Amino acid sequence: MSLNVLSVQLMTSLAAEGDTFETPGVRSFWWPLVGGDHDNFAFTRPSLVMILSVVFLGWFFVSTTRRLALVPSKRQWLTEQTYDFVRNTIARDVIGTKDFRRFLPLLFTLFTLILVNNIAGIIPFVQYPTTSRIAFPIVLTLVVYVVYHVVGIRSKGGIGKYLGGMVPAGLPGWLKPIMFVLELLTYFFVRPLTLALRLFGNMMAGHLMLLVFILGGEYLLLHGDNFALKGAGVLSFAFSILMTAFELLIEFLQAFIFTMLTALYLADSLSEHH
Amino acid sequence: MTGSIAYLGYGLAAIGPGIGIGLIFAAYINGVARQPEARGMLQTIAFTGMALTEALAILGLVFAFVFK
Amino acid sequence: MHFASLAASGESTGYPEQLPLLPHPAEMIVGVIAFAVLYWLFASKVVPNMEKLYAERAAAIEGGMAQAEEAQAQAQAALDQYNAQLKDARGEAARIREEARTQGAAIVEELRGQAQAEAGRITDSAHRQIEAERSSAAASLRGEVGRLSTDLASKIVGESLHDEVRQKGIVDRFLAELESGAISAEKVER
Repeated sequence: MSLNVLSVQLMTSLAAEGDTFETPGVRSFWWPLVGGDHDNFAFTRPSLVMILSVVFLGWFFVSTTRRLALVPSKRQWLTEQTYDFVRNTIARDVIGTKDFRRFLPLLFTLFTLILVNNIAGIIPFVQYPTTSRIAFPIVLTLVVYVVYHVVGIRSKGGIGKYLGGMVPAGLPGWLKPIMFVLELLTYFFVRPLTLALRLFGNMMAGHLMLLVFILGGEYLLLHGDNFALKGAGVLSFAFSILMTAFELLIEFLQAFIFTMLTALYLADSLSEHH
Repeated sequence: MTGSIAYLGYGLAAIGPGIGIGLIFAAYINGVARQPEARGMLQTIAFTGMALTEALAILGLVFAFVFK
Repeated sequence: MHFASLAASGESTGYPEQLPLLPHPAEMIVGVIAFAVLYWLFASKVVPNMEKLYAERAAAIEGGMAQAEEAQAQAQAALDQYNAQLKDARGEAARIREEARTQGAAIVEELRGQAQAEAGRITDSAHRQIEAERSSAAASLRGEVGRLSTDLASKIVGESLHDEVRQKGIVDRFLAELESGAISAEKVER
């Protein structure tokens, strides 16, 4: 969320409640551009960022891969590095050399989309991590959820075999039902839930932290009674800059972890024994 | 002071997974330092463990939002 | 405004005050469309192109590998040839050295034989000379002893016994008997 909007929010809050500080919360992420607070189909700011990110990603990767040279240019080098990371570090190492190729479009789409939408949180004038709105992680997780179940059912040859294959081999008889229930929970409930909420939670919390430091700093600077409070406001701004650098790391890491776990779940569905 | 005690609860609930993830990655770093060639296999195992452990913290986050 | 009436009727929530974790429907639709478009772009254009590039690069690297292997084979052949030549030269040198050693040994042996033969010859001639001188000395000594003893006997007897002694050959016989051990010197002295 950009600074000018923050100040608008702050001023409106001041106008409404006088000289008190409104703590930023989950509410701060709700930001309709077209439509209102109670509109189910309001066109929100994250939607716009999402569309812009798709346009940017599509343009960048299609234009750099249209004419590929064996010796890459600078932009092609960037494309190749990203692709290489997803292809070799994530897909090939986790899924295995046999079947990783057919999942490359999925993994590459997930990684680049999440990465750009995460980094949107610290790009100046955009400053809105799209993935901090839970709708987007849920959509991406649903895709992954459907894909790894379908892949699992296909590779095991039937739903019954797929469910039966969830129990690890070599367990004593009395443990099998317990493990089956646990694995069922893991496959159908815990995995999608954690996949979506990890991305959402990290992005929202990180951005909220930036909001607290920037909004708090602004409030202290503008409404502080003495120089100590104003100094604290400046310190808060300085710390928000540090936290922005930290956010960059978190944003990359979350994109990596989401893609990595997708690859892991796919590898799990493909493997023979489990 | 006003607010929801659910957030306090979530703070407490995050301690355990935090320690757990720290242990997982400490073991992973140790393993890679001892046998760098086993990195790929260890990475998979470490991230699986991390996903499982972090599930607890994430469930806590959900409940912090639900039981406001 | 239209959303105010919707909110009043309670049909639509928009921002869920009670449950902030509920997804916003419009954002989900946008997300699905965005993912679908990007997936289609990547699956149809980016990934095939990149895989083609990977294949080409792998082919190029393999071509380079083949070249390198050929160069290595050539180098190996040259090395083998060189080693073979070196081995031949070493064998030749060893053979020559061995020959020289045997020749030297033969020469030494020959020289030693010659020296030994020479030494034997010298020793033999010395022996023969000594023998001859010894026998001549013995012969002259025998005559001398005979004459001396006859002289002694003549002085004891008082007349010359030379003729008689010569005639009878007494001295010779005695000496012969003495040499043959028929009588001993001790008996003579007694």
